[in-house]
Amino acid sequence: MDKLDKLKENWQSEKHELPKVSFDKIYKMLLKKSSSIVKWIFVISIIELFFWIGLYFTVPEDNINMMKELGLESVMYYTEMFNFFIFGIFIIFFYRNYKSIKITDSTKVLMQNILNTRKSVRYFVYYNVGMTIAYFIAINTYLLNDSDKLYKIMHSYNQDIPKEGFANIFITSQIIVFLIVLGLLILFYWLVYGILLKKLKRNYKELKKINS
Amino acid sequence: MNKEIEYSFVKQLEANQNIVHKICRLYTNDQDAHDDLFQEITIQLWRAFPKFRGDSKFSTWMYRVSLNTAITLYRKSKRQISTQDFENISFKIKSEEYDDTTEQQLKLMYDAVKKLNDIDKALVFLYLEDKSYKEISLNLGISEVNARVKMNRAKDKLRKILNP
Repeated sequence: MDKLDKLKENWQSEKHELPKVSFDKIYKMLLKKSSSIVKWIFVISIIELFFWIGLYFTVPEDNINMMKELGLESVMYYTEMFNFFIFGIFIIFFYRNYKSIKITDSTKVLMQNILNTRKSVRYFVYYNVGMTIAYFIAINTYLLNDSDKLYKIMHSYNQDIPKEGFANIFITSQIIVFLIVLGLLILFYWLVYGILLKKLKRNYKELKKINS
Repeated sequence: MNKEIEYSFVKQLEANQNIVHKICRLYTNDQDAHDDLFQEITIQLWRAFPKFRGDSKFSTWMYRVSLNTAITLYRKSKRQISTQDFENISFKIKSEEYDDTTEQQLKLMYDAVKKLNDIDKALVFLYLEDKSYKEISLNLGISEVNARVKMNRAKDKLRKILNP
């Protein structure tokens, strides 16, 4: 295999042009790992916001009309706007975390930033899950307060709905749907942010070990 | 203390970075992927650094960790190395010393090496780096005999790639 040996000869003579990475750049790389995770948290939160906004605009017209008749339209609108606003604040937080992790060159600052990021992500998840639960309870309490009106309005959209035990059927189906939605939401957060946070935690531990 | 460790690590990696670049070049096809792999290897080296006790040379230790990282990443992504971007990779040889045919042949050979699977590539890389079979076996965690057998097989594969 003399061709391979020729390559070896050439290889040894080191005539290939290899890149050169500076001391500073390598040094920064040691801290980089966390910055890519934090970047992902930032990116995913933006995607998530767009997803919710998209969902808001794709609600079927029937549902919107029904909400109007139930007197829930403005409540829903303001809740959504409030939600998007809070989302925006979290996104700013995530962006700031990402920015500060990206530019730091000290392990101490990096460790502090990792803790901050973990905290803000946790609050973000608590907020979203908490808000979903609160929203569900508030809306259903309001609706069931006047279940006759609710029945009338729903009946006008779907004639098959039986009057007998309507409130029970309504609340049972609402709870089932709610639990599925909540489960999916928690599963999503657990999968996406949970994994990212776990990685951050590992990085934090490593940094701590190196620092001690 | 911490700063001193960081400083010493970065200093040594800076001095030996050619090893990492050569591995990156073998396992990737474009500059972005090259830079990514370089960074990944740097991080893995840094992670493993506390375990490096200095009973072997820094560069020897680097071979093992860097190759392991490249192999693991390569396995994870399962991506096929295409050789289309090969022209973009500078494999320059001073023209006054080699005529076009030599350069062409070297390119073809390098091209063939890039087509090998992850383990064979590591094997050939160490061979090109003029490592003994003992060193190769230590780096890849296989027996010396196995290293020889695998190397012969890799050479066969190269021959087949060059003369299909």
